[in-house]
Amino acid sequence: MAAANDDEILEGFLCPICKADLKSASQLTSHFESLHSEEQDVLKSLKDIFGKAKKIILNNDDNDLKETFDRALKLNYQEQAYYHSQEQVVGVSRSSTDYFKAVRSARLERYATETNKLLIRLDKLVCNMPTDQNMRKQHEQEVVPWLDGSSVKLCPNCAKAFNITRRKHHCRLCGSILCHDCSVFLDLNIARAIVDPSAPKSTEQQDPETLEKTGLRLCEHCYNLVELRKQVQDSRNAKTVLVTAYEQMRSLMEQARPAVAMYEKMCQSLFDGETTYNLTDVNAMRGRIGKLAEGIDLLSKQIAAHPADPGTRQARLQNAIRQAAAHYIKEDLLSLRKLPTEAQIEEVRRQRYERAERQIQAERQRMEREAATQAAGPSAPSDNHQDDDDDPLLEQMNIIRGYIKEARKELRFEEVAILEANLKELKKEYQFQKLSSKS
Amino acid sequence: MNVIQAVKMYITKMTEESGPGMKVILMDKETTSIISMVFSQSEILQKEVYLFERIDNLSKWDNMKHMKCIVFVRPTSENIALLSRELRQPKYGVYFIYFSNVISKSDVKTLAECDEQETVREVHEVFADYLAVDRHLFSFNIVGCMHGRSWNQNHLQRCSQGLLALLLSLKRRAVIRYDAASDGCARLAERLRDLLRREAALVDNNVPLTGDVPTPIVLILDRMDDPVTPLLNQWTYQAMVHELLTINNNRVSLAHAPDVPKDFREVVLSSEQDEFYAKNLYSNFGEIGQTMKLLMDEFQKKAKSHQKVETIEDMKNFVETYPLFKKMSGTVTRHVTVVGELSSMVAKHNLLDVSELEQEIACQSDHAKHLQRIKALLGTESVRHHDALKLVLLYALRYHAHASSALPALLDALNARGCPEPKRVLLALELAAARTRSEDLFRMMNPQNITKRLFKGLNGVENIYTQHTPLLKDTLEDLIKGKLRENLYPTLGGDDSGYGRRPQDIIVFMVGGATYEEALSVHQINQAYPGVRVVLGGTTIHNSTSFFEEVKSAMQGVHRTHTRHIKNV
Repeated sequence: MAAANDDEILEGFLCPICKADLKSASQLTSHFESLHSEEQDVLKSLKDIFGKAKKIILNNDDNDLKETFDRALKLNYQEQAYYHSQEQVVGVSRSSTDYFKAVRSARLERYATETNKLLIRLDKLVCNMPTDQNMRKQHEQEVVPWLDGSSVKLCPNCAKAFNITRRKHHCRLCGSILCHDCSVFLDLNIARAIVDPSAPKSTEQQDPETLEKTGLRLCEHCYNLVELRKQVQDSRNAKTVLVTAYEQMRSLMEQARPAVAMYEKMCQSLFDGETTYNLTDVNAMRGRIGKLAEGIDLLSKQIAAHPADPGTRQARLQNAIRQAAAHYIKEDLLSLRKLPTEAQIEEVRRQRYERAERQIQAERQRMEREAATQAAGPSAPSDNHQDDDDDPLLEQMNIIRGYIKEARKELRFEEVAILEANLKELKKEYQFQKLSSKS
Repeated sequence: MNVIQAVKMYITKMTEESGPGMKVILMDKETTSIISMVFSQSEILQKEVYLFERIDNLSKWDNMKHMKCIVFVRPTSENIALLSRELRQPKYGVYFIYFSNVISKSDVKTLAECDEQETVREVHEVFADYLAVDRHLFSFNIVGCMHGRSWNQNHLQRCSQGLLALLLSLKRRAVIRYDAASDGCARLAERLRDLLRREAALVDNNVPLTGDVPTPIVLILDRMDDPVTPLLNQWTYQAMVHELLTINNNRVSLAHAPDVPKDFREVVLSSEQDEFYAKNLYSNFGEIGQTMKLLMDEFQKKAKSHQKVETIEDMKNFVETYPLFKKMSGTVTRHVTVVGELSSMVAKHNLLDVSELEQEIACQSDHAKHLQRIKALLGTESVRHHDALKLVLLYALRYHAHASSALPALLDALNARGCPEPKRVLLALELAAARTRSEDLFRMMNPQNITKRLFKGLNGVENIYTQHTPLLKDTLEDLIKGKLRENLYPTLGGDDSGYGRRPQDIIVFMVGGATYEEALSVHQINQAYPGVRVVLGGTTIHNSTSFFEEVKSAMQGVHRTHTRHIKNV
């Protein structure tokens, strides 16, 4: 039965070089390595392309090589049609945001009034806090009335009885009673920062003991509310050097996108033999894209070099940004189409010109034939020949030429295209006027 | 009806809605797979998503208030709890929350109450709740969906939700048809209908009425109706890779293979990102070898004709064609490695002989000859235990009722060669025999098939290794021609005004798992019937190994009735 199967096996094990039928079934690659060691460059060139670059490439085979790849790697038209023919819209989705926000704001409103009350008190407490301990106590009691503790026998938080060792204390913000173990202390510096975010922040951390002496004694509830407020504040001011660099990089990318599109358009126009843009224009555009790429590269490197502890998310983030930028530059900015040479452009333009010429010739012949049939008719005298200098059209054309020059200098090629179109229109109009004035 | 496109569009929508800025995406285990099936990392980096985090990763981390967080999770209770925790102490600046399926109001309320810092901007349901394997193939990655013959409730829930999501993501209304002989199919069909009813408002508001076009059909089938297909060795590229090397979420591990280059320990095979693969997915093994040979020939010719690059101009040209080369070298080497590995396995384990016999048992009836050849192969050292087991099972499926069935003797032979757990044959046989089958398992009795076979025989079979076509193909063709019998495949839900009309959009779901061979059949049908669009799904995508797992799970704690006379295992 093996004999019957030869055909099927054969296909799988053909060696690309000796074309030997390897139905002995040594695998393709190992056969390659063992029997064709002198042909290693084929395999290797597949594997590390840069190293073998010099041996493989010459410019004139770009095209057939590309064709081969396309044949092997890309889907042909039919397959493409099968895969892409169906139009599809984004599927159903439903938003619960409104409900979410309704629930949230109802809940937060309750907190908000309470937090505001606490903040006002905190402001009063911190603003003119006397340094003297007794004065301070008095000041604190003036701002927040302390609860009368005579009837409170147990700490409301931990339910332990008060005695000589477990003394009664008061929360400085709401005035309620609690024991020492249940109280939390808020650093005065932090308290000041919360009240006045513009004040300079001190970064030094106080050790727990001094904190207990100098800090504000709070109950857990008040502390949480104040802490929450602080976090919201912090996240608002989270913009760092990194973020600015990133935003700059993104804005460069934003600029690069239309520039690349413009370049493609200009390139195409050159290949089509149009005269809207000239080669130096396109080269300048290419230069500009190069500059943008450089800028993006630089910024992304800056971001990657930003100090971060290795292994942390921050470090991973920075690397990912750099990677994305490098990929973007490689795929979108450096793979631009090659420009045609001056000679090629001339050639295309000449062909186009000849085509146009032929068309005009044909037109003229037709006109002449028509004229011949109407030869009997009297020809109109042409005496109202206008003075060229005064023609407002000509003047306008000159102005536009000036604009074009300026726009070119500043690389605003969108404008160049529009102006060129205008100029063409004017020329046509002018020609038409001349003709009509002649007749 | 392109499922990959559907998922991609949802994810693009998420990244766009959050506006510009550095983004992190927070996912659970399943949504991680859902995203990784359709996007490569470099693609998603271009959408400003730089970090990928798991929501169940509770390790301590630094504050990242300058980042926007896109949350994409399934609406499970664990995820709600984890997300609540996250929102209480937000690490990121703002949150955009997307659930991959319907979420209850009470869960939204829970989350809203945790968002004390007002960091959440959006809460949405999007319906990317399945793994898009290919344009017309999806799965839920569940092996062992049945437990002791009835649905594992979690898996039933997951499948019905997933199918609901699929319909919503493709913007389709549907009627449900199911295999009446299978209890599992009926359960799932009912559950899906209930879900569709409950979410009627969502469907009515968002999915346009089809008008003149016939209503799309969801057809729910049972794997055990065709236990033969997952047992066969495959020779089309994708199916073969899965059978011999196992594709897991588009990834193939080559770590166990000797002398594989380091870069290819794990290769990604995705038809979205790899055009060579997309093109050769369904080519048979021989054709692939041919294509590679051509590529290498061409390459060699170039190498020979131009020995050196000397001028700056040459170098410049090289750099400009560089992306092309890089792409070419990357893809082709990857596939050369995979194909090399495949062919070495084919040679080592006598797979050509095994496959030939498998195909013959599947397609022809000749007891004496088959028995003799199975015995011969069981005695061959190089045949894997796994293949021996499959052969005996195929024999059992076809001949267990045969007058001179030698099944006990073959089981002894399996035992003798040390094959682990030969009992698996009986489990599968039991499961298959328990089904009241409308047709013969191997479709021999159907006169139409016999004529087809005859014609095929006259033309000469093109390839003896791919004679077998899955049952699914016939079922689908019947459905398309409007000949699928209503008493065997009843309709549930939706109006049946479209009855008898030829359907255009069909979603087939296989309870118990689909196979890549069936994906190929669906692909062929899509091409053969213009205007008809079929999408195939399964609880998982099986190869023979995972199929045995599936059987084992389904037979857990079940007494054998049909095969109880066989005692020697």
